[in-house]
Amino acid sequence: MSQEIQKLQELLARVQRNATLPRTLVSAIAPEPSAPMHEAPVVAYSAPAYTAPVADFTAEQVFFDSEPPPPVPGRAPAHVPQFAPEPVTQARAPALDASVDDLLLEDPFPSVPPAPSYNDVLEEDPIPLVSVASPRPLDREDDVSGVMSISEFSEEQPEELLEDDIVEMTAESELPLASNHTLDELNFGDDDDSSDKRTTPPREDDAPASSSRSKIAGTMDEALARAAEQIQLEEGREVPLKTPPPESGPQAATALPAGIHAPLSPDIEELLEADILPSGGVRSALPTAEQLGQTIDLEDARGPSLELDQPAAFRPDPLQDDVPSEELEVTLPGREFAGGYQEDLMPPPEARQELDAHRQRLADDSVPAPPESLAYPSQRPEHLEAPTSGFAPVIVPSSVTTDSYSESVSTVTVDVPSKVEFAPELLARPDIHPSPVAKFIRIEPPRPNTFMELLDSSLALGSD
Amino acid sequence: MSLNFDPSYALEFDFGRGQIRMANAGERVIVPCDALLALCQGASEDAVRDFGRRLGTEAGRVMNDRLGEAWQASLETVLEHLGGELALMGLGSLGLERWGQALVLSFSHSPLGWAGDLLLGSVLEGAMQRSFGRDTVAIKLMRNEQNVRFLLAGRAGADKAGRWLAEGVPWGDVLSRLATRGAS
Repeated sequence: MSQEIQKLQELLARVQRNATLPRTLVSAIAPEPSAPMHEAPVVAYSAPAYTAPVADFTAEQVFFDSEPPPPVPGRAPAHVPQFAPEPVTQARAPALDASVDDLLLEDPFPSVPPAPSYNDVLEEDPIPLVSVASPRPLDREDDVSGVMSISEFSEEQPEELLEDDIVEMTAESELPLASNHTLDELNFGDDDDSSDKRTTPPREDDAPASSSRSKIAGTMDEALARAAEQIQLEEGREVPLKTPPPESGPQAATALPAGIHAPLSPDIEELLEADILPSGGVRSALPTAEQLGQTIDLEDARGPSLELDQPAAFRPDPLQDDVPSEELEVTLPGREFAGGYQEDLMPPPEARQELDAHRQRLADDSVPAPPESLAYPSQRPEHLEAPTSGFAPVIVPSSVTTDSYSESVSTVTVDVPSKVEFAPELLARPDIHPSPVAKFIRIEPPRPNTFMELLDSSLALGSD
Repeated sequence: MSLNFDPSYALEFDFGRGQIRMANAGERVIVPCDALLALCQGASEDAVRDFGRRLGTEAGRVMNDRLGEAWQASLETVLEHLGGELALMGLGSLGLERWGQALVLSFSHSPLGWAGDLLLGSVLEGAMQRSFGRDTVAIKLMRNEQNVRFLLAGRAGADKAGRWLAEGVPWGDVLSRLATRGAS
């Protein structure tokens, strides 16, 4: 932006300097620069009646013909000043400044192409001058001055190109880059050699400099052919050291000096592994010494390994035949269908002592029957009672075995034989029916019958 | 002879005359209790005894009138009627205790308090004199907030009991000693 402002300021300075030059000379010598530029708008100003000094030219011929009319031999415009003939090349420089002056007085970037004023049409008589100054019609292709380029920039707005309109920027289009006049490369010096500027006239069919995208290939073969051409062009192209402007199209990367290379693309697999593993990499998967210091080793599981038995498939019992069909009753499966456990499982050693104590408690809770010798006759069993005497003989156990589950708990099992020869005779105290065992004799003191007797006895107390 | 004490119409208030009469008795005067105590405290011991004996004589007489032959009356009957008459006087509730051969009479809820014990004992002596014709001495055995016990004894026994009580012998032991000495 700042560069454009600077260019415009330089341009304005030149305009002011050129303003001191004689106006008529410029107008007379000007080879009708606006003719190719204002072709269409001129139609609007052709209405005023204008009597051309030359009867041979009509208004249509003057303003609408793209090509200047051929010069009339033997007739020269009366108002054309006579001056020494100069080379055309020298006369074009003032014309260049004059066109710049006219353009800069107006909007440098008008949205609508400016129309020539009515006075310009009347005062100027460019047609004969054109015929004199420029014997051949001037086209845009012939005009290689920077003024023309500016007029092109100012008048022709850059149109937005669609993708189909974007033409591939090839090496051929980049080669005349130096001669392709852009705003930055304009040289407005007076002492510039104009002949150099005319060497490479711009072509209208050149692709715009901003086109950076290639045209989409219609077929695959075409795309492959373009790719091959692109590769060939890139191989033979000299890579500029300066970074081209963004509108210059695709550029090849600058070759780096030896020893310097671009960073390689990371390996995707390594990155994924780095995300999964800890920050230390593969080695960090192992526990550190600090972690091992607080690690508690758990004891292995003891006892037999458990195996889950797969329960048998449920097969409901067939319905009985005698059950009426109306009763929709089905016998539910019993406990045998539930999962079981292995019977030979042994308790762990810690629970064995507790289990023995539990069995001992169960044995204590079941109070055995009192000894027969101490039992009352009514509580004796039928088969142990003597039929006649009422005293039952005590049967001595023949064997006593001890089965111990542990060292502290033992149980005794007594086997009673059915018949023995020698038995001790036990005597029991006969029943005693309740009867009074003591007699208390209550001795009541003599109670006075009347109050008078008690009073007399009380009055007698303490009297000797 | 009525066995039960009937206090119906025992008092007759004659508002025209401004008199209060007791059935089978003469006029009565209702006086404040503290005024009576003040009078008793200001009087001599003999005067209080005499005043009390007069009150007891009147109660004995009324009881005799109710009972007819009081010397044949039982313990309960004497207690009911004599106690009824003393209650009409407002002297408290009479009780009877027999400790062996000793006769103990007590008053409970007496409005006179400990200051009226001498008066109450004298009332009992007057009632016994008037009802049964016996001279008795009422010896105060104990006193608490609600009850006061009197031993009705003869003169000899009263002196011994008084001496023992003065010596600090508990009133139960006094009764035991009286009974032992009396039995032996």
